[in-house]
Amino acid sequence: MVEKRRIGVAVKHGIDVTLTRADRASGLVQLAGAPRRTSDFDKNAVEEAVRIREKHGGTVTAISVGGPAAREALRESVAIGADEAVLVTADGWADWDTRAVARLLAAATRTLGGFDLFLVGEGSTDHFSSLVGPRLAAELGAADIAGARRLTVEPEGVVAEKDLEKEVEVVRARYPVVVSVGQEINTPRLPTFLANLKASKKEPKVLGLAELGLAASDLAPSIVVDRVAVPDIPRKQLTLSGASPAEVAERLRDALRSEGVLP
Amino acid sequence: MSDEVILCYSEETELAADLVRIARQAAPTAGARVHAALLPGAPPGGAEQLGRAGAHAVHTVAGAAHPDPHVVAEQLRAVVASLNPTLIFLASTKRGREVAGRLAGSLDLPAATGVTGVRIETDGVRVDREALSGNAVATERIVRRPAIVAILPGTSAPNPVPAGAVEARSLAAPEVAPLTERTEVRPKPGGQLEIEKAERIVTIGRGLKKKEDLGLIEALARSLGAEVGCTRPLAAEAGWLTDDHWIGLTGHRVHPKLYVAVGVSGAVQHLVGMRSAQLVVAINTDANAPIFAQADYRIVGDLYAVVPALTKALGAG
Repeated sequence: MVEKRRIGVAVKHGIDVTLTRADRASGLVQLAGAPRRTSDFDKNAVEEAVRIREKHGGTVTAISVGGPAAREALRESVAIGADEAVLVTADGWADWDTRAVARLLAAATRTLGGFDLFLVGEGSTDHFSSLVGPRLAAELGAADIAGARRLTVEPEGVVAEKDLEKEVEVVRARYPVVVSVGQEINTPRLPTFLANLKASKKEPKVLGLAELGLAASDLAPSIVVDRVAVPDIPRKQLTLSGASPAEVAERLRDALRSEGVLP
Repeated sequence: MSDEVILCYSEETELAADLVRIARQAAPTAGARVHAALLPGAPPGGAEQLGRAGAHAVHTVAGAAHPDPHVVAEQLRAVVASLNPTLIFLASTKRGREVAGRLAGSLDLPAATGVTGVRIETDGVRVDREALSGNAVATERIVRRPAIVAILPGTSAPNPVPAGAVEARSLAAPEVAPLTERTEVRPKPGGQLEIEKAERIVTIGRGLKKKEDLGLIEALARSLGAEVGCTRPLAAEAGWLTDDHWIGLTGHRVHPKLYVAVGVSGAVQHLVGMRSAQLVVAINTDANAPIFAQADYRIVGDLYAVVPALTKALGAG
């Protein structure tokens, strides 16, 4: 039985998809230096970890892999209620792919003495590969449950409702286990002013490659991003109007008829 | 460069057959070989179906079926070990991505998910994948092989290319202790609708004031011969419609001939689900709603006035 449950949570300080802008002519999105923020589902992961601790005790350690600005994702995690914050960083962080991130999280987990339960978001808002959770689990030899919509902790392990396309599975795993959570699992709390203030004073522990026993060559990209572009799907953008709803409706009906999309 | 050997797997044979057809197109050279794996628990007839799709060989793994992603990944790893493929194609479903991650982690392979296009080029394999919550398409280069490519269901698969005689290989599943136990499976409420296959869809968003008003939308859908879709808040938060109606990043991706968005603001996570619709109509009170930028025909107006009028106009023929 786990006496004092140790919970790890990965939080990504990812690209803010609501603020990216594409070049009008080329459609290319400039990623270097793009505004970043905490990835949406990762906040659900932190919230879930904090709720578990509030109910059952234990500690919550938020870990962010990234550049210096990722401190903001850690600050936010501490404001939600994480006990400890760990920044995993090194030169070249911007080129780290999901393989590198999973290896770094696995190394950090070992360096920090291991976790019983490790929570991640089901996918990051900017990249959404959904690979980091299962990759991390494979690296650690741990069980993994992806897409949890409900999570119950027990003395020896967890029970989760796992969301699939057409069904929901109830899955049980013993510790250690990596669980990825979707947006439906909870609503992350809005930290109070005091919690924010307190969190901004908490300095994260910083782990570099030397502390993790990794070399830069261990993290060499296996995948590189050539380009990111907004697909150009031309739309007619015709506004239909009329003197009454009935008139507008008839115009639309006629348009749909001439487009040949009606049955 | 030596010829590609592509291994295709999905627990859904229909998706695996699509992967085979995509693989035959991606690696058209005479020496390239496309293999498919059938793991324990696969329904009968799979080998024939994969052969018809163009597989050169089908590997049947015999043993006990288990839904644990670790077990599935290890069974797949046994096929990988005996075949040494250059590429592994999986389906980018929820379970497919989980298996992709486990297999990639245990073999230390590059992996890409959410892939909508794959090209084998001289300096590496290029994949197109959804990025920025579906706002954009990222082109990524996989710099070493073998690599795992998880392809989104619905990605266009070319017509099958017959491979002639299909080689049948079999191997025994490795003994693997599962790391998770499934204690219950329940179909999602509703769950019968396959909205991906709908030719016409009327999607309702937060513009709908109460659940009882769904009748308005259903009536419009009937007059168009359409299915009813919805945005995330209506399914996941309000529960007014079941998940099989939900269109978006974490819901379903659709590609109908006609998409009518009613009271849908057009959050980026929704747009990714409907981007490949042929013709888009948007009805919204807010002239600045982002959905209008994605629309062919735009009506700025109150859905409670426009929708009944439209239903009537269509019904009147």
